[in-house]
Parts: sequence; structure tokens; C-alpha cells
Amino acid sequence: MVFPPVAVIAVFIGFPVVAAIAYTLGRAGGPNSVVASLGQRQFIVHHGVTVGAYRDILGNATIHRDLWATVWVTIVTTIVVVAVSWSIALYLRLADSRLARIVSALSVIPLFIPVVIASYAILIFYSSDGFLKTVAYHLGFHGFPTLGYTLTCVTLGEIWVNIPFGVLMMSSGLNGVPNNLIEAARDSGASMPRVVRSILLPMNVIPTVIVATFTGIYVLGSFTVPYLTGPTAPNLLGPAMSNFFSAFNQPQQAEVLAIVVFVLALGIGAAYVWANVRTGKRAGATT
Amino acid sequence: MSSAVESEGVVLGGLPEAELLTAPARPPGAIVRGVAQRILGLLFVVALLLFMVGPIVWLGLRAFSGLWQYPRFLPATWTLNGWHQVFHDPNLSRSMRLSFEFAPVVTVLSAVICLPAAYAFSRYKFPGRRFLLISLFATNAFPKIGLYISMAGVFYSLNLMGTFLGVVIVQLIGTIVFMTWIPAAAFSAIPRSLEEAARDVGAGPLRVFFRVTFPLAAPAIFVAMILSFLASFDEAQGTFLVGIPNYITMPTEMYTLVLNYPEQVAAVFSILLALPSVVLMSLARKHVMGGRLAEGFQLR
Repeated sequence: MVFPPVAVIAVFIGFPVVAAIAYTLGRAGGPNSVVASLGQRQFIVHHGVTVGAYRDILGNATIHRDLWATVWVTIVTTIVVVAVSWSIALYLRLADSRLARIVSALSVIPLFIPVVIASYAILIFYSSDGFLKTVAYHLGFHGFPTLGYTLTCVTLGEIWVNIPFGVLMMSSGLNGVPNNLIEAARDSGASMPRVVRSILLPMNVIPTVIVATFTGIYVLGSFTVPYLTGPTAPNLLGPAMSNFFSAFNQPQQAEVLAIVVFVLALGIGAAYVWANVRTGKRAGATT
Repeated sequence: MSSAVESEGVVLGGLPEAELLTAPARPPGAIVRGVAQRILGLLFVVALLLFMVGPIVWLGLRAFSGLWQYPRFLPATWTLNGWHQVFHDPNLSRSMRLSFEFAPVVTVLSAVICLPAAYAFSRYKFPGRRFLLISLFATNAFPKIGLYISMAGVFYSLNLMGTFLGVVIVQLIGTIVFMTWIPAAAFSAIPRSLEEAARDVGAGPLRVFFRVTFPLAAPAIFVAMILSFLASFDEAQGTFLVGIPNYITMPTEMYTLVLNYPEQVAAVFSILLALPSVVLMSLARKHVMGGRLAEGFQLR
């Protein structure tokens, strides 16, 4: 019964990833033969492997800038999403007012909007005739910078898209902390910041790690947000990959970039697995 | 959609002030601190409101704007031209039709493939269960665009580039985790004793499943199907890579629309594309907010 989904994953994810690794190392046989017959500027060997394609792409100055742009946008987005969703979740956990319910409703709005639409909306909101510029103009800042088509706009878009998941995960984690634990600490004289630092923070480590890893991986693998809201260059590796694959007709270079992104994600993924193993152990100990 | 969000914006904007006025009286020392906290809280809510809802409202206004010159906050003239253009452009109506063809096919296929597995994962302990669960879940840990690029490379050899089946497979990949994990959690939540009781009074295994287990798990399965439908309906990057030039769905059409059409047309199309999401997510809202989606992200 579990065979069908596992087979789908193995055939359409596992197999292509293995084939992609072989292709980037110069092996153009088997499943790669058709794509290799179409591509240009390839580094092909019939025996052994070559890192020619990797050297080609990693020696490319434009790609260097894209790579740094990707790393920075990923780091900034992850930090902001963790910080903002922590604050919102904490507020929702401790306050039970109408304001809290409004905040809760606001923070999940992106779930209802397709990413393509969100990216477009964010682009025109921050564009040269967008809302932010209009407000700045009326406040007297006539030379206010235009954020549309910049990496800042990409980062704002990525944050927007990732906030609901962050808030839902963090809230779920914080709601798991029993009320009487917090009350007991308050009764014995702990201040609210102390309660947060000594009880809520340590008990919400796993959701925090999960939010950080999934946000990071999401940004690394994103295409729509940077493609629609970002500059031509340097932009994130997602649009770069797509350009190499379709516009430049250099699929081998595109797949090298895919592998580079996989390796970056692997580091992040390791943290996620570690966090889950820890939860598993803890759950095993208490039940 | 835009009008809904706009009116929501008005309501939300009005609430905090009302609440500030009705704040309960407290001892003098606490009042200053309380007011300061309230103001900070209000500023935070206003900032959040602008950040989260602002772009959507701004886009909604575009859909009805005629002449709109910077730096005005509202259009000078209003028009429905954009709407007229969208419904009379053959490319755009074709992409709408295609989107409504792919999403149901993907959802049903995903249910057929994943639901038996979800049941097995929740009811049977078998060797390799944990490994298989984690490898299913690992699909989420691949950066999407990298995955699609790798898939596209192999799709040439499998004759799947530019085909209906190719697009279905790309979209299917994004639904498997929902379709396995959410129903599996629902099956696990059904007490075994219920099934055993039905068996004791003589019901066969199939009858137990369809009369006891399935009805109890149905709401969660429905939610999984909604999420899968939306994942497929809103999928743009993979469809763009694999489906072009034969299969251009609504979200992939947006990529060209933004560059080649007047702004109002793109705005109108955005509203149409967001409608199914808003309606269907509202149906699934309770389940998603209830924290079960979040729980699904923790491997067990």
C-alpha cells in the first residue's frame, strides 16, 4: 500500500537527482542523452568524471554575485521570519484580546494568496509609483529610493510568503507549553521576560529550528518571488537556473546550479533532521 | 476578492482605536505603562496590516483604475476595461480552462496514490516504515526550483517535456506530502477499538473501513484534497519549466502577463486567480489554523 507514493518519489525525484549529478560530472548517457543532445557548452566525458561544468559555472563572475545574493537574502529572510513569527506567536500566546485575534488573522493572510499574485502585488506596492513611494512623497521624502526590482524587494516578498508558516509553527509550539507552568513561575516571582527566557524559549527550540530550516530551504528553491520582484542581475540562483536552462540553452550549467543549491540545502536539512531526532528521543522518554 | 480584503482592512483599521477607548481603568502607575504598551502594540498592528494587506489592496485598486498618476493615493478615473479584456482574450481564457483541468486531475491522482499509503503508515508497523516516511517527507527538503531543473533534464528522455502528463507529474510531486501526512494523522486519531467493535459484530474488513474508518477520517481527507487542489492550481515554476509552450496555466500566464499586458489586465487576472485560493482556503481554514498542519511537520 505504501508502494505507489514511494515509487513516485523514487522515479520522479530520486532518479532525476541522481541523473543530474551524473550529467553535471560529464556523463551524458542514458537518461541524460536527449538533454545532452540539445544543450550547448557542455563538458562531456565517456570514462570517469569531469568537473569542467562546475569550474565553468563557479568561475563565472555573474554567478558569484548571484550566489552571494542568494546567501544574503536567505540569511536575512530566515532571521526576520524567525524573529517576527516568534514575536507574533508569543504575543498570541500571552495576550487574549481582540487585538491579538486581529494580529493572528493578519499573519496568515498569505496562505490565501497564490505566490505569483503575492509577488506581483508586492512588486507594484514598492515600485516607483507604488504605495510606499506615494506615502514618502506626501511626507516630503521626494528622493525616497524605489524598492521594486531590488534584492530588498525580493527579501520583503520572501518574508511575506513565509510568515504564516512561521507563526503557525511557533504558535503550535508555544500552545504546547502548559498554562500552569507559566503561572507557577509567575507565582514564585518570575518576571514575564524571565518566563519567556527560561520556560518558553527552551520549550520552543524545535519549532524554531523547523521554521528556520524550512524558510531557508524555501528561499533557496524559490523562483517566482525573485523572478517577478528582483533585479536582472544580481538575482537569486532560482531565476539564474531557469535562464541557463531555457534562455541560454545550457542545461548542464543549470543542473550544476541545482546541485549547488541542493548542497546548501543539505546543510540546512541536517539541522532539521537533528531537531526531529531530538524530539523523537524526548517523546520516547516521556511517553 | 479585493473588495473583501478592502472591507476587512476598513474593519480592522477601525477596531484598535475603539479598543483603546474602552481599556479598563488601572492604578495610576500602571496606566502610563499600559498606554505606552497599547500604543506600541497598535503601531505593530498597523505596520503588520500595511505589510500584509497593503500590497493586496493596492493590487485590487489597480484592477478598477483608469487614469492613476503618481503620487495620488487613488485612481483619478475608474473603469472595468481590464475585466472586459481578460474575458475576451483567447490566451487568457484558455489558460483558465487549463488550470481547471490540471488541478482536479492532479488532486484525484494524488488521492488514489497516497490515501492507501496514509492508511498503511498509520495502522501497520512494518520494517522500513520510518525510513519511508522520512524519504517521503524529504521531498519537502529539496529546494523546489533545483528539483524542477533536475526533473526537466530527465523529462526530455522520458518524452514528458511539453506534455499534459509531464505537467501532472510536476504538480503531483507538490501534493504528496499533504495527501500522505494529513490523512495518516487522521487515521491514527481513530481509536482502534471502534474498528474492533465493528469487527466483533460481524462486519468484514472492507465494510469496517467504509462504514467506520473512512467517514471519521473524511474531514481530514477533504482538507488534504483542498490543499492538494490549491498546490496544483497555484503551482507556477515547475509548470513553467515543463509545460511551456503547450500548457500555460493561469499562474504561468502571470509571468508573461506582468511583462506584456497593461497593469489593469494583470491585476484583474490576479484577482481571478486568487479567487479559488481564497474560497477553498477559507473552507480548510479551521483545520490549518488548528495546528495540525504544524504538527505534520514534526516527524514521528
